[in-house]
Amino acid sequence: MTDPKQGISEREAIEQAKQGHEAAFEVLYHLHKRRVYSLCLRMVSNPAQAEDLAQEAFLQLFRKIATFRGESAFSTWLHRMTVNVVLMQLRKKNLPVVSLEETLEADNEAPRKEFGAKDVKLTGAVDRLQLQRAIDRLPPGYRTVFVLHDVEGFEHNEIAQMVGCSIGNSKSQLHKARLKLREHLKFMRAEKAKTG
Amino acid sequence: MTCSEVERILPELLDGAPDGALPGGLEAHVKSCPACSDLVSDLKLIASEARQLAATEEPAPRVWVRIAAQLRAEGLISDPAISVPTISVPTIRDPESAPARPILVPTSSRRRWTSTARWLAPVAAALLVAGSYVVSHKPAPEMAKQPAPAAAVTAQTPVTAPVPVTPAAPVSAPAPQQLAQKSDKPTGAIRPAVEPEPSTEDQQFLSAVSTLAPSTRATYENQLQAVNADIRETQAYVDRNPGDADARQHLMDAYQQKALLYQIALDRIQ
Repeated sequence: MTDPKQGISEREAIEQAKQGHEAAFEVLYHLHKRRVYSLCLRMVSNPAQAEDLAQEAFLQLFRKIATFRGESAFSTWLHRMTVNVVLMQLRKKNLPVVSLEETLEADNEAPRKEFGAKDVKLTGAVDRLQLQRAIDRLPPGYRTVFVLHDVEGFEHNEIAQMVGCSIGNSKSQLHKARLKLREHLKFMRAEKAKTG
Repeated sequence: MTCSEVERILPELLDGAPDGALPGGLEAHVKSCPACSDLVSDLKLIASEARQLAATEEPAPRVWVRIAAQLRAEGLISDPAISVPTISVPTIRDPESAPARPILVPTSSRRRWTSTARWLAPVAAALLVAGSYVVSHKPAPEMAKQPAPAAAVTAQTPVTAPVPVTPAAPVSAPAPQQLAQKSDKPTGAIRPAVEPEPSTEDQQFLSAVSTLAPSTRATYENQLQAVNADIRETQAYVDRNPGDADARQHLMDAYQQKALLYQIALDRIQ
């Protein structure tokens, strides 16, 4: 990975950042800022808070950069650090990362599929903005698992380890999150059709 | 296979088949059942569209400005650029409040910073060591009974009358071990309704900053309140969850933030 503006590779930037070169820190920031900020934004659904969290994730990374030996991908390292920063913040605010209560409550609230009944299909592509709004409306626990799995590409075993739940719980929460999103999207589509 | 059976096994199957292929029995049912067919295709569509959301958002330019300022304040940048005009401690803030107000400290005083940091280092380093000791070695129940470690520290190294320098971790060049210890500090601190009495070293700090302009003094006072609230809140969380390594690291970082706040404020006073 190379920053086209600075013309140096990620590896070179890492080595220079270890020496304390500001330009190298900046290169690393610009290479990864979108991924980190987007992850924070999806998980907390609050731009100001997402900025703070992204800032904290980068600061934490830069403070530890001297310990980076390159055994794992730099982006993976940063990504995990970002997730930890966000999860810590959610825990501090007593928001459920994954909770039994939410699972039980969601069992009652989760949209039903109404088998056999006439259903509206989400044909074609889903509007990105609508999908983001639907994600914002998910309960925090569902949102965390959905963002980590479907948006960020983590596996269930990784998610289970990060948020402290079982793999089965992670799968269950993901499925319910998708079902809820489906209902939200259908509702939004119906509302749009009504007003439009 | 029935619709109920599909409902039961779908969470396992959707993520198990990378190409989206479903097992024979399920495939046959889905083909013959419009409701299940729509459900499966919708869930696949949501999952595939979600992937497109990764890395689509651009943070505001101020994020890098604040990161660079903080790196410089912590001495992690050795070749400061001239583009960042201030040092700030923007990570200490209440997430529910208005956007953070940076502490404005001229960066032109790098030479002065270095010399001042020499006598401030014992205060900050001792604060960090005390925080680190509490976080790493004390069992949670004992921690709750301990007085704030910073109070013990400044009894020996008063803020207003710094002691001569002994070799201590310089702020401008943290050792690798220190780098490894600083971490995991999510932003934001929810302040309790009632603030406890300030500790001895906080009183000294407040006395020191009282010579500054009222608005600047208020900013320092607010930042001190915020970081103290962060320490208390995190300490309470660690007491409840002594096995949470992230929380313990967060607590260590909160102490580090407090040390940094001391350094920045006192450097300005010098």
